[in-house]
Amino acid sequence: MKHCSECAVDIEGAWHTCPLCRGTVEGDTSADPFPAIPLTFSRRRVLTVLFLTSIGIILLSFAAQLFFSRAIDDIGPFRYAWLGVTAMWLIVLMAVRKRSNVAKGTVYMVVLIGLVCTYWDYLTGWHGWALSYVVPIVCACSVVALLITVKVMRIEVGEYIVYSGLTVVLGLAPIAFLFLGWVTNPVPSSICGALSLLALGLLQLSRGADVKHELSKRLHL
Amino acid sequence: MTRRAWVRLDNASNIFLAARSDADSKVFRMSAELDHDVDAQLLQEALDEVYDHYPLYHAVLRRGVFWHYLQDSDLRPTATPDDQHTCAPIYLPDRRNLLFRVAHHRTRIVLEVFHALSDGTGALWFLSDLLNAYTRRSSTLPGTAAVPDTPGSAHPPGTIAPRSDAAAPRHELTADSFAQYFRGKTEGVGAQDSDFSKAAATPVLEVEDEVDSGKPLRRRPGLRPSFMDVYHPKGTRTPDNRTRAVELTLPSKDLLDLAKAIEVSPTMYLTALFFESIRRSSGGLGKKRTLSASIPVNLRQFFPSDSARNFFATVTVRHTYGEGLDDIAAIAKQLDGQFRPKATPEALERKLRKLIRAERMVVLRVFPRPIKDMLLRLINWGINRGISVAVSNLGRVTLPEPAESHVERMLFHVSAVRPQFCAVSHAGYLTISFTSPFTEIGHVREFARMLTENDIPVTVAAAKVTEQELMEQKS
Repeated sequence: MKHCSECAVDIEGAWHTCPLCRGTVEGDTSADPFPAIPLTFSRRRVLTVLFLTSIGIILLSFAAQLFFSRAIDDIGPFRYAWLGVTAMWLIVLMAVRKRSNVAKGTVYMVVLIGLVCTYWDYLTGWHGWALSYVVPIVCACSVVALLITVKVMRIEVGEYIVYSGLTVVLGLAPIAFLFLGWVTNPVPSSICGALSLLALGLLQLSRGADVKHELSKRLHL
Repeated sequence: MTRRAWVRLDNASNIFLAARSDADSKVFRMSAELDHDVDAQLLQEALDEVYDHYPLYHAVLRRGVFWHYLQDSDLRPTATPDDQHTCAPIYLPDRRNLLFRVAHHRTRIVLEVFHALSDGTGALWFLSDLLNAYTRRSSTLPGTAAVPDTPGSAHPPGTIAPRSDAAAPRHELTADSFAQYFRGKTEGVGAQDSDFSKAAATPVLEVEDEVDSGKPLRRRPGLRPSFMDVYHPKGTRTPDNRTRAVELTLPSKDLLDLAKAIEVSPTMYLTALFFESIRRSSGGLGKKRTLSASIPVNLRQFFPSDSARNFFATVTVRHTYGEGLDDIAAIAKQLDGQFRPKATPEALERKLRKLIRAERMVVLRVFPRPIKDMLLRLINWGINRGISVAVSNLGRVTLPEPAESHVERMLFHVSAVRPQFCAVSHAGYLTISFTSPFTEIGHVREFARMLTENDIPVTVAAAKVTEQELMEQKS
């Protein structure tokens, strides 16, 4: 019988390491009282397959939109329902997947919502609502949301600082839209830009050193 | 058209159906190790013989509008090689199959039972008769063949021997001991209910502290903390929801000596060890410093019954760390002090009568089954909030001859929604089988180390559950 000197126990069956402590075992292998039953499925693999399939269907759904004309009388309202379901699916999927890090999840959300809405706007005749309203509002809200969340949830600085920085930088994008004349209403972009500049200043003043430390760690060559 | 016998499932069993989940199949496994490799053919013959004595085991589970019911069937069981993990699901809705299975692997004969059909003691009767029938066939020793065929002639201590009339079919579908003992105002002695449909039982057999109003229990501080303070072990689920099982084997005498030295029952000593191993492996209990264990009590020892159907109640014992002495002896003594007054026939009877009355209320009976299931699931969830771990000790098993001399270790696994252990002792060996829905077995490591620190020789056997462990097997 195998023996683990760390736990001082004898081990039945073919184990290369102690089943209790994962330490090394010595001695001869004895008959295993249990048959080795192969896994019927692996939860991890099931989730991976589900995730990849979902992503595939979502991408195909977005791509399929290009086959329909922009005019409302082609597939019209059906397109909105289809895009709505697909976008919801994508957002929920990402929210669940990135739930362990709120700051990181927020960056993903901002980018995904921005891209989906811009594409949606493009598909339905390019009225400019995505860049004028959606992107600035989502960016501004996420900056405020992050400021509150990191305070309330007491997240460690290193965990969120880089992603908070990224969110704030994303918030600067609407300023570019404003100057390039891509917006129909300048108010949301102006507010978002101002808020982001303010947050950036605060971040630099209060946590500048932390940001530098994290960045040098993560970008270390 | 033949009319099949049927009986309504009692509520004690209904809760097993409601609480059944992917991770917790509500199946238990009882195995016995023989002194030789099992012969599949002889096992099948033995199974066929014993099966005829147990009409209850012919039952399939069906769903009615208001209740689940057990219905007689013509199915025959087959003894198979053990090709499924321990406590693999047996009951699947709408599939009419038997609610138990018999398997063999090397020297082990394995009986797995869906808990709605029978409890540990009931299953042990079946297994001991099966082992006896098998060893009578396999035994080539002269003289053993002369042992008369008296199924169930010797039963574990603490249980009641069956009727002496061996010719009559035992363990039939109808016998519901809950109804027999706890329904109505007077003791139902001899009130064996022949009407299937009237069988009834109790939904929740949780025995609370306040059973004794005339003679209040001495309460210690922290004896009854709120559910918020109860610690619940957490972990990573196994990859395919199979039950993680680890068996520890040790000489029974060594543990009895340890328990005797501090004057507590072996079950309470093991429970105290379990609490301590959970604490040590938890990496700090945090704010929830109370550990509580649910312990089933076999009611047959107080209310004689030879029904193999579920007939037990559970008692909960607790210990809060950081409020006084926290060494094994102190914990064990505290648990023993809690357990004894709750496990008396009087305390159990009073509580069970109350519960039977509640469950027979007409208002509750008219709810359709899905709603009842939902209610039971809710009740079960509530009970679970107050429980950290579960512990079950079948005690010392004595088998009839010739089985007794050919069977070595016996083992008892239960599918678990929380870390749990089941102990059973036979042939001088005590086996403690830990089961858990999680892959982590830090608590078993601590448990084993505490035993070996007392110079007790411990043998470990573990079934492989993770991809890594199964890969290791192949290499």
